[in-house]
Amino acid sequence: MRASTRSIAIATIVVAALGGTATASATNQGDRDDRDSGRAKNVIYLLGDGMGRTHVTAARERFYGPAGKLVMERMPVVGQVSTYAVQPRSGQPGTPDFAPNFVTDSASAATAWASGVKTYNAALGVDAKGKVVPTVMELAKRAGYRTGNVSTAEITDATPAGQMSHALARGCQGPSYSASSCQDTEVTGTELPTTDIRVTPIADQIARNGTADVIFGGGLSRFDAADEKALRNQGYQVLGSPATQTVATRRDLNSAYGPKVFGLFNQGNLTVEKFKIANPSAPQAKEPTLSEMTRKAIGLLDGGKAGRSDGKGFYLQIEGALIDKRSHANDAAQTLQEMKAFDEAVRVAMDFAKRDGNTLVIVTADHECAGFNIIEKGTFTNAEAATPPGNVDSGNTANNSTPSRPGRNQLDPTRSTGIINGAGAGDPRNFGPATFRTPRDPASVKDGSPEASLWLSYLSGNHTGADVPLFAYGPSSERLARSLDNTDLFDVVGQALRVTR
Amino acid sequence: MKRTTILVLAAAAAAFGLALAVSLLVTRSDTAPPLADAARTVLPGLSAATGEPVLPALATLRPAAGSVVQAPGPFDGRFVLDNLTFDGRRVAATVRITSDVSGLLELEALAGFYDAKGTLLGTGRYVRPDPARQGHAEPTAPAPGGAGAGEAHRVTIDVPAALRGRAVSAAIGVPVLVNE
Ligand SMILES: [Zn+2]
Repeated sequence: MRASTRSIAIATIVVAALGGTATASATNQGDRDDRDSGRAKNVIYLLGDGMGRTHVTAARERFYGPAGKLVMERMPVVGQVSTYAVQPRSGQPGTPDFAPNFVTDSASAATAWASGVKTYNAALGVDAKGKVVPTVMELAKRAGYRTGNVSTAEITDATPAGQMSHALARGCQGPSYSASSCQDTEVTGTELPTTDIRVTPIADQIARNGTADVIFGGGLSRFDAADEKALRNQGYQVLGSPATQTVATRRDLNSAYGPKVFGLFNQGNLTVEKFKIANPSAPQAKEPTLSEMTRKAIGLLDGGKAGRSDGKGFYLQIEGALIDKRSHANDAAQTLQEMKAFDEAVRVAMDFAKRDGNTLVIVTADHECAGFNIIEKGTFTNAEAATPPGNVDSGNTANNSTPSRPGRNQLDPTRSTGIINGAGAGDPRNFGPATFRTPRDPASVKDGSPEASLWLSYLSGNHTGADVPLFAYGPSSERLARSLDNTDLFDVVGQALRVTR
Repeated sequence: MKRTTILVLAAAAAAFGLALAVSLLVTRSDTAPPLADAARTVLPGLSAATGEPVLPALATLRPAAGSVVQAPGPFDGRFVLDNLTFDGRRVAATVRITSDVSGLLELEALAGFYDAKGTLLGTGRYVRPDPARQGHAEPTAPAPGGAGAGEAHRVTIDVPAALRGRAVSAAIGVPVLVNE
């Protein structure tokens, strides 16, 4: 190629690139205009911790019958979400050092939707290499939105902490720093100085970073007098008292007002609904329900009757945490009641969203817990069996696998001594199913009886890698009507609020 | 490179700069601060930790010679401490977690050792080995105390060598406890 021709060629490439820039710019602008139609003034993001598809189905059948629907199931948009995590020091998907971990914990999952990155189990607000990543709640706060974070767990627990802290290890909750619970040298190589946010106890972060304007949950014993002072200095109304370890009550919640409110209603996790329903005069019954906390949080953030309509909008995360904790325990009765309580919080959010007309509501989960399943009435699971199911087809040996399994699946009477909330309830080693009556069962049918129509069982006491359901309503919700990864939720929410680009 | 080439490139660069400037003016969000700046990484007024967790109550307890007592801590509502023993060389106790919990993530115990007058001589620490920082899988071995007994963890803390023979009583408590 001769020099003059070459110079023209270079100029052509540069001009073409310029044209491309201009075109891309115009397209971006066009996208923005299009997306403005999907802009949400408010986003309410509700998640049932450990809530798999079967948790939803079982709760529907238990409380509304098979032909009924939970509130979340009445939402118009349905999707499903993959939840896998990665190993410590992994790269992101698509990079050469990507190293997946098929089953996530709540910390990695929360970081995925809060910050849009895959990270290792136990990590909060940092990627798998330990780099701090901003959260949607931080971005929303910076952009002028009001923010809220509500959970039935300790507020320092992984799911709420994933929006308002940055920690190498979810166990670094406070009140005290300890190297064992806060450092992770597998990720950082050497221990970080204690001035580093990533090893700062999560309670210390929450009490000082102002990321959430409204904070309701449990975990008062993570906080101390210095935290209370820091909260008050930022203008928080503090319900109860971290300094004296006085838990807040429903009464305190009802009378709360002001732009910033901090209320923790138990020193640890909040109490399961089933106990409060059965013991209405117990001190724990003074704890608010998730739906009461949700209603109050929305009222405080939206302004409601107080007429704070000058606000830009709000971003609120609500967690039904005990679905997971009671699934770990394979306690179906408590799990179902927590599902109902969570669905009632969804009802509160949906009632607001329908009135408001400009609120995106997302209901999903961080992962499935315990391989919860609905088994056919009168049948049993592998956990109750002496041997696995047979796998021999003597009529057509082409159907046999190697090695084939002759014989038949038999119930092992030492592993199944009866229904675990019925006749076998006294045997703690029992693998039997839990049975529950449903609305169409005759009135004489009792929970825990063989006659009850809903038979439930568990695979394990740990999380599984199953995809989780998603339900949505409002602006931008159509973007969720598909198979998603949990990191996609960061993009959808961030763009609905216009806080990411 | 020829002079004509340089001229063409210069013109192109100028045009590109102009286009960029126009683009920045019309798309306001391109001038927004970087996303990463939104992360709250500085906490005004917080003094950084200078050591491992303490139990202030250890300094006020005066256990009688030969005895071992429980030192109050922030999580006393979440566990029962029993089978406390002290033989002059080590203190031991069983931490039985009683709160509504799933897997145990972190457990640390702290012991104080006292002389015959009940003066605190020094402390020793137990940090539960971390079987799996990854996730919170349940341990595969049966928990001590058997199924249904709740999570029970035997904790032992040796009297530091320098205090051997002088420590005649002990106190033990739990400054760190985290469940999944
Ligand atoms: Zn869990």
